[in-house]
Amino acid sequence: MKQSKWGMVVDLDKCTGCQGCVVACQAENNIPSNEKSDYDEDRVIQWIRVERYWEGTFPDVKARFIPIMCQHCDEAPCEPVCPVYATYHNSEGLNVQVYNRCIGTRFCANNCPYQVRFFNFWEAEWPDSLKNQLNPDVTVRSRGIMEKCTFCIQRIRRTKRDANVNGFEIDDGSRAINPACVNACPTEALVFGDMNDSNSKVSKIKEKESKKSGRGYHLMEHYGTSPNVIYLKKIEKNKSHSN
Amino acid sequence: MIPGDFRVPKISPKILLISCLGTLITLVILIIAVLFVGSAWWTQPLFGFDEGPDQPIAFKHSPHVKDLGMKCTYCHRFGTEGAAAAAIPPVEFCMSCHRVVGDDNKEIKKIRDAYNGGKPIDWVRVHRLPDHAKFYHPPHIKKLSEKNNIEASEVCSTCHGDVASMNKVKQVSPMKMGWCVDCHRANGASTDCTTCHY
Repeated sequence: MKQSKWGMVVDLDKCTGCQGCVVACQAENNIPSNEKSDYDEDRVIQWIRVERYWEGTFPDVKARFIPIMCQHCDEAPCEPVCPVYATYHNSEGLNVQVYNRCIGTRFCANNCPYQVRFFNFWEAEWPDSLKNQLNPDVTVRSRGIMEKCTFCIQRIRRTKRDANVNGFEIDDGSRAINPACVNACPTEALVFGDMNDSNSKVSKIKEKESKKSGRGYHLMEHYGTSPNVIYLKKIEKNKSHSN
Repeated sequence: MIPGDFRVPKISPKILLISCLGTLITLVILIIAVLFVGSAWWTQPLFGFDEGPDQPIAFKHSPHVKDLGMKCTYCHRFGTEGAAAAAIPPVEFCMSCHRVVGDDNKEIKKIRDAYNGGKPIDWVRVHRLPDHAKFYHPPHIKKLSEKNNIEASEVCSTCHGDVASMNKVKQVSPMKMGWCVDCHRANGASTDCTTCHY
């Protein structure tokens, strides 16, 4: 099987800030529900979050949304600071968090400019009514370890396993691999795929939008983290391009 | 004798014997404990765990496999052909034969009672992996059956041992990470952490 390099495209022109991706991610990845006290303590766990910005003053006001998840940087700042190699880059271009290696130093979270790594300060708890909805394919993280977006690696593994056993090729159509957030997005603002496959949707968008006239950019590009998530600028009515 | 002068207290031979014996017993217990923990850490406990657990129904594999020649994958199709865990067949599946077979056997009566009462059987789980290690049967069965050119049902004994001649099913392989990785290396399978941990 040829080597994949997973990547995502986020089209901010299509994003309506509906939070569908956030809910889908919480459900798929066994993320505990965040209470008000968690927000007060800045201990919220959201592998993908939709940041909202207001622009202008009332009545001429606009809301801007930007979904932010782990950027799976090629030059990830979180990786070299881990003393136990619990976070590393795998051959598929994913920034991986190995729960059973993590000892909870939180160096990685401190070194991440995107603030997409989350520490389990407490043992995760669910109300009794939700205990049977936990995804068996995803580890329930215990207290004292870091967690973050995995690009739904359980789905990647499942599809690759099925492809191997039943002998089919993974493509962008009916055999596509999609993280929960991409599946949930009603406006298809999120696109996921294999950057190494020149026929995939993401590589086509990347090729088109990374030209000078294109809308593509990376978050905090000046840090040189070379993320695998590409954002596409919002199209303005009167301006040419602006974020 | 000056008052307060140091004098070695006389120890009666009885107390000496008891204390010597006590030290000896403590040492032996300590050695046994170290051996037990040490062996359990590396592979499996040296002693005390060589029998499988008691099951609610004294099911025996040998009449099914040895006498009737049934294949593992006939009954255990539910875990080996897709699903992740729990390869024990449902009660309905046992009943597809035992509706008519084995009228005079009291263990089979238990299956029928469970089926008629609509109650699941509380089998005791023998093989258990921690939550952070994901294992799926199909790719392993496929790889090993293709590599050794044997049928899928003959692959099982590679990890599960000779279940057919076990009285109570027990775990024969250590099922530790080193054991998994050794086999993955030997067969050229991926040793990336996310192959199993996610």
